[in-house]
Order: sequence, then C-alpha cells, then structure tokens
Amino acid sequence: MALSGMFGRDGPGPLWGGGPTPGLFYNFPGSRNTSGMEAKQVTQSPVVTGSSVLGLQFKGGVIIAADMLGSYGSLARYRNCPRLLKVNDTTVIGAAGDYADFQHLSSAIEQRVIDEECMNDGFAYTPTSLHCWLTRVLYNRRCQFNPFWNTYIVAGLENDQPYLGYVDKIGMAYEAPSLACGFGAYLALPIIRDTMDKKGELTKEEAVDLIDRCMKLLYYRDARSLNKYQLAIITKDGVDLRGPIVSETNWEIAHMIKGYE
Amino acid sequence: MAFSDMMSYNSMKQPLQDYQAPNQLHFNPYDFNGGTILAIAGEDYALIATDTRLSQGFSIHSHDNPKTYPLSSKTVLGCCGFHGDVLTLTKVISARLQIFEKDHNKQMPTSSVAAMLSTILYYRRFFPYYTHNLVAGLDDDGKGCVYSFDPVGSYEREVFRAKGSASSMLQPLLDNQIGGKNQQGYVAQPLPLERCVTLVKDVFTSAAERDIYTGDSVQISIITKDGIKNERFPLRRD
Amino acid sequence: MSILAYNGAAIMAMKGKNCVAIAADRRFGVQAQTISTEFEKIFEMGPQLFVGLPGLATDVQTVFQRLKFRLNIYELRENRRIKPKTFMSMVSNLLYERRFGPYFVEPVIAGLDPVTSEPYVASMDLIGCPMETNDFVVSGTCSEQMYGMCESLWEPNLEPDDLFETISQALMNAFDRDAVSGWGAVVYIIEKDKVTKRFLKTRQD
Repeated sequence: MALSGMFGRDGPGPLWGGGPTPGLFYNFPGSRNTSGMEAKQVTQSPVVTGSSVLGLQFKGGVIIAADMLGSYGSLARYRNCPRLLKVNDTTVIGAAGDYADFQHLSSAIEQRVIDEECMNDGFAYTPTSLHCWLTRVLYNRRCQFNPFWNTYIVAGLENDQPYLGYVDKIGMAYEAPSLACGFGAYLALPIIRDTMDKKGELTKEEAVDLIDRCMKLLYYRDARSLNKYQLAIITKDGVDLRGPIVSETNWEIAHMIKGYE
Repeated sequence: MAFSDMMSYNSMKQPLQDYQAPNQLHFNPYDFNGGTILAIAGEDYALIATDTRLSQGFSIHSHDNPKTYPLSSKTVLGCCGFHGDVLTLTKVISARLQIFEKDHNKQMPTSSVAAMLSTILYYRRFFPYYTHNLVAGLDDDGKGCVYSFDPVGSYEREVFRAKGSASSMLQPLLDNQIGGKNQQGYVAQPLPLERCVTLVKDVFTSAAERDIYTGDSVQISIITKDGIKNERFPLRRD
Repeated sequence: MSILAYNGAAIMAMKGKNCVAIAADRRFGVQAQTISTEFEKIFEMGPQLFVGLPGLATDVQTVFQRLKFRLNIYELRENRRIKPKTFMSMVSNLLYERRFGPYFVEPVIAGLDPVTSEPYVASMDLIGCPMETNDFVVSGTCSEQMYGMCESLWEPNLEPDDLFETISQALMNAFDRDAVSGWGAVVYIIEKDKVTKRFLKTRQD
C-alpha cells in the first residue's frame, strides 16, 4: 500500500510522455528509426559514369586530363566519351560522375556562352566566374535533394594567371595548384603534389609528361578507367585540346602478380 | 514488418543471393571538411585564428584554405564545418553587408553583424547550414569582442572561444590560461597581444598533434583600430 | 549513447623525472545524474603500481577484483613484485579473453619498476590493445579535452611537485568541459621511496 500511494500501483507515470526525463539525456525523436517510416526516396543515383579527372598548373598555363570511358556499373559500356568541355579560349571544364548530368550541364553552359556572345559587350566567361556559377548550380540542386551527380574541375587562365577550381555534387568547392577527383585523388594526386613540391614550377613539357604518367598509372590500377584519354592545355595562346591519346603500357611483369585468384 | 523479418523473407524468395540489384546510394547533402577556428577578445584588439587545411575523410583537399573571412575593416568571420555551406553562408553575408552599406552609407557594426548572422542561420532552422561560426571584431566602443554561434543561430558574446574539429582540445586550455580557471588567487588582467599570439601558436601546434583535421598552417588575424593584420605560422603537414 | 560513457570518468597518467603520476575524477553518475562524488577509480596494485579504470562502473569493480586475484596468484607463484610492463600484459590478457563481449573499461596503468624504479605509463582500449608512451596517457569521457591539455602543459623531466601541478591542472580543466566527469579529483604522485595521495577540491557542477 505504501508503494502505490495516491497515484495507484504504477506510480505517477512519466512527467512528460515521449519527452525528456529529469536526470537523463534527451534523444530527439526522428533521428533514426523511431516510427518505422522510411523517407520518400527522390534521389537518383549515377548511371553512366566517368572516373578521374586530373588538373595541374605549370608556368604560364594549366593542364587538365580525363580518360574517355563511360562505365555502366562495372561494365565498360562507352569507350569514346569526351569528358572535357572547351568553354572558350581561356576555360575548359572536366567532369567525373554521371555522364548524362554532365551532358545536360554542357548544353546549358554552351547556350550561356552563345547568349553571352550575342551581348557583344566584350565579356565572356572566365574560369573564376564559371567555377562560381557551377558552385551555385550544384549547391542549389543539393538543397533540393536532387543533385547533379558530378565532380567538376575548372581549368583556365584569368588575367594570364593559371586557375584551377574544384566543385562536387554537394557544392563543396575550392581552388588549388593541383587537383584530382575520384581514384585520381588517391593514386595520382600524391605523385603530382610530390613532383610539384620538388621541382617547383613545372614547364609545359614536364606537366604533359607528368599527366601522361598519372593517366597510365590510373589505367593500371583504376578498374573504371581506359587507356585512351583527352588532354587540354590552356595557355595565353588559347586551348590546345589533344586526344584521344593512347599511352604506351607495359604488362611484362603482370604475370608475376599471384595470390589474388 | 521488422527489418530482420524482411531479411529472412527476402532470402527465402530469392534463391540467387549473389545476383541482387545494386544497393541504392543514399544521397547525403552534408559532409564534414574539418578545420578549427579560435577567437580571443582583448582590451583594444580582437584576434581570430584558423588552420588552413581543407579535408574530407582521410584525404586532404587543400593545404591553403584559411577559414576566416574579413567582413569589414573591423570585423572578421570564422566559419568551418561543411565547406559547401561555408561558401554559401559567406556569400549571403557579404551580399547582405553590401546592401547595408549602400542603404546606410556606413559599414555594419560588429554587434549588428552578429545579430544578422543569427537570423541568417535561424532562417535555415529545418535544413541548417552545418557551420560553426565565430565573429571577432571591435565593438562600438573600440573594445575587442567575440560572438560565438551554434549552427542554428543561438549566440552570445564571449571573451574567448574555440570552434571546429579541435575545439574540445583548445577550449579547456583557454579556460585555464585566459579565463584563469582552477587557479587560486587569480586576478583578471588585460591580456597583452604578444602573449595572446604565443598562446594561439602553442594551442594550434598541440591540436595539430592529435587532430587529423587540423594542420598545414595557422593564420592569425589581428583586428585593431588601424585595420586587420594577418600572420602565418607553420603546423605539421601530415 | 556508448556504454563506456554511461557513468562518466576521466583518468590520466604522466611521466616525470624518476616519478610518475596518475589522476582521476571522483564522480559516479548514471548518465546526467550524479550519485556519488567519492567513487574510487584508481586502484593500488603494488607499492609503486596503480591502475585507473574509467568506464562502466560495474565493470570497473569487477575488472579490479579479477585483476587483484590474478595479481595475487602471480605474486604467490613468483614470490616477487610484478613489473609494470608484466602487469600491463596481465590486464591486456584479461580484457582480450572477453574479445566478443568486452568489459567496458579502458585502463590506464602507471608505476615504477620494482627493481630499476624506471617510470612507466600505458593505456589500452576495452579489448586490451596496449599503448605505452614516453609522455602521458589519457582515458575516459573527456579524452579529447585531456589530450588538448596534456599536449600543451606536459614537458619532459618534471620534478614531483611540478608534475603534481601539471597533471592536476590538465585533469581539472579538461573535465570542467565534460558534463559527466569531475566533481573532485584524486592525484597519486609515485616516487621511489614514497607515494603521495592528494584530493583536489573542484567546482561541483
């Protein structure tokens, strides 16, 4: 009897049902699996995808490269996909991730370049302005939970100074003297950073050699890559878009790799 | 249906377990890009420091990305967390500051910047900017001031505050060395700038030892009535 | 919330010149509610050997009792004092025996070698992965804060009095930024010929 008192057998009950209890931490509801309801899925996932894009600055210019494979999951589906887009004589963009999203944005950018040209006011996209615009477009789509599933690398010259910018599907963006996305960030970027640290400013030839070495490395080790790539060199003379380039590979020691069967 | 029930139900219906549809990637609109910021208010100065590393998981995106943003000649914003939100937030703030300047023909005072930032953050209460913010500057009397914010806009004026990935390592030391906590017979005295700068270098060096998201270098901005002066100090780069 | 943080604790150990120190907070709580401010988390395992056990309070006491049992057996069989490093292996073994149903404690060990009086500190995770260091070890619910304090305050070759001040300041300022540890502290300074135990009065909130 003493135990039940005025509240009956079960005591006074909780102070605030479903709410905080004195002396305990309060866990907000809805953080995970409280009701068993799943959120409605509006998000796409990438379909045909491109892998790494590499970019680096050298004396008087920028170089950017991407291979030409469009993967469909693990299937090497399209073997002739250009992933670099020349925007104008000072700007090139490279895209990784969903290829359709890239094509969609490519047409949007090309139309804007035409519109800008029609103004005939002497203004055109600079790498900085295009990078900034891409940042806003991608951030806006992530806020609608319907992202463009891409990572873009913007390369170009702004007032004769090399420019390299990065932006991904959630609108995370920055500038750096060397950039890579996808597997390139793990496999190629350490080599690029190391070379640039040791040699200081690279010449154009050194930069092209370095890119070729890195693209070859990616072909050896990234399963979603292809031995056929495009390269764009942006200097004050304009854009030199090269490719498709097939780099020479050596498989002599491949038969010695054992133990992964 | 409970999750475990669904699992067993599916495995009975599907004899070919190896060949299943690929899992749908869930889109996560947030990420964490690290970074630490620290601000201290002095008698006639304010100091705000940031490391310059931008990272994501175990990769370092940039070695040279300070997370302080000068807003006027006497106000600096420190902003870290998800870098996409940081970029957007700083753009919104500078647009609002420009509008204010055109409307009123003067720069916005630090206290008003802080109040405005609070409303900007709360505007996104239900899809927040994932950013940790500090506003450092001089108040209307020319004294140093620091305002610290949570990601959804609750804020207060303080004398010293650390925010970001190594904040929990820095804050107790500031409590001790600037706040005089756990020191018997401590008498509060104005903190000389030189001692402040040395302390900041020390705590960032310590934080870089233990926090992988803090490193490369620390940039210290000192705000006085003569303007903003910047100083760099190297940290470990691994 | 982690079971390791259910009761709250903060323990650290530091090396000095021919001495070591180990310190802990004194709170025993259940999540946010404080039950006692006189809880023992540091245990004497020899004249110059101590172990600190932060974590789930029930496991703290069980692990201490089982360690004490094994230690007694060891000393009866060997007829000598255990070395800190050997004791560390003993703790590690005890914890790893429960690899897939662990005791929720992350021990800190501090002591002087019974023969050479060499200082020794070590810590380990809840399944017994050990870490020996030359400076300091920390463990508990405010380990980040403790790392921040120790990394800034500690320096090599501290004399016993300076070591006491350093470890006390490091611990107090660290747990003052943690809601589930604090409420007073205890510090042991272990020297060749004496062990000094001091209680610290701290803020009670």
